[in-house]
Amino acid sequence: MQKIDPKEYQKRLDTLSEILNGIAHRADELSQQRCPYKNRHNQCTASFGCRNKRKPSTEGELPRCAGDDKLDYRKAWE
Amino acid sequence: MPQLEDIRNDFLRQEVSDFIERPEERAKIIGLIAKASPAMQQIGAALIEGQNKVVDQLTRSALDAGTPALEVMDDGLIAAMAIVGIKFRENFIFVPEVLSCARAMKAGMAHIEPILSASGIEPIAKVVMGTVKGDLHDIGKNLCIMMLRGAGFEVIDLGVDTSPDRFLQAVEEHNAPLMGMSALLTTTMPNMGRTIEAFIDADLRDQVKIMVGGAPVTQDFADEMGADGYGKDAVACVALAKKLVGAAA
Repeated sequence: MQKIDPKEYQKRLDTLSEILNGIAHRADELSQQRCPYKNRHNQCTASFGCRNKRKPSTEGELPRCAGDDKLDYRKAWE
Repeated sequence: MPQLEDIRNDFLRQEVSDFIERPEERAKIIGLIAKASPAMQQIGAALIEGQNKVVDQLTRSALDAGTPALEVMDDGLIAAMAIVGIKFRENFIFVPEVLSCARAMKAGMAHIEPILSASGIEPIAKVVMGTVKGDLHDIGKNLCIMMLRGAGFEVIDLGVDTSPDRFLQAVEEHNAPLMGMSALLTTTMPNMGRTIEAFIDADLRDQVKIMVGGAPVTQDFADEMGADGYGKDAVACVALAKKLVGAAA
């Protein structure tokens, strides 16, 4: 089996951590306005109830999110 | 200097063309991806699409074919996560898509872990993570897990609605020195205290460091419940985890 140099592996972890830190900070900022369960198609990926959930456009798809990113979405969570 | 056209994978070329707008980032990403082998570009493309089963198969095949693990990490997995990070920053994708990509990354790393182990590189520590009983919110927990894995921890994810007994069982089964609990509701926060009590009753409290987090959770609450630490966000979670297990920051 191949072997990995621990120092080389740590460099990769450091690079990855930098990318993920950027993602985490952005997620924090974004979650001030946009529900983090809302995907890029404005569908809801949450498994809990929410007053902003609407029936999907097509059967079998995820529910739609009716939240407008202007009000505190957490108040709509059930 | 590599150009966009030098990226042979059609999907990746389109991703860079459509989503990487800053010139210096574009040049860097093109430089990284253009030199990657077709197999690595395929892994990257599958990761960006969140196709964890495909990343799993392609990574296994690449390693079986003798591709160095660090090359898989650099050219397949990390290069793709860099694109994911840029797309997220620019609002082309959102948290659910990022977490799909993180799952795909994990699927690839699962094949690299035995190589790490054989090289004497062990995870920093095992950490059991879960959202407490009665609570179905998991995004914060999942972001913390993504960060912890990226930092070198081995994470056992118990999911949501996790009972005190399930936390106990997992910590014992995996001999985990660290555990994290998440709660998003003020009504479920008390279950953090109940879980800690369960560890005390089972005489296991001293064997595990317990950290807590979630929007309504505070440092005062964590202290009151008897937790060892409170993380206000995913970045703080990693720093806290390292501190609690005595790892280098």
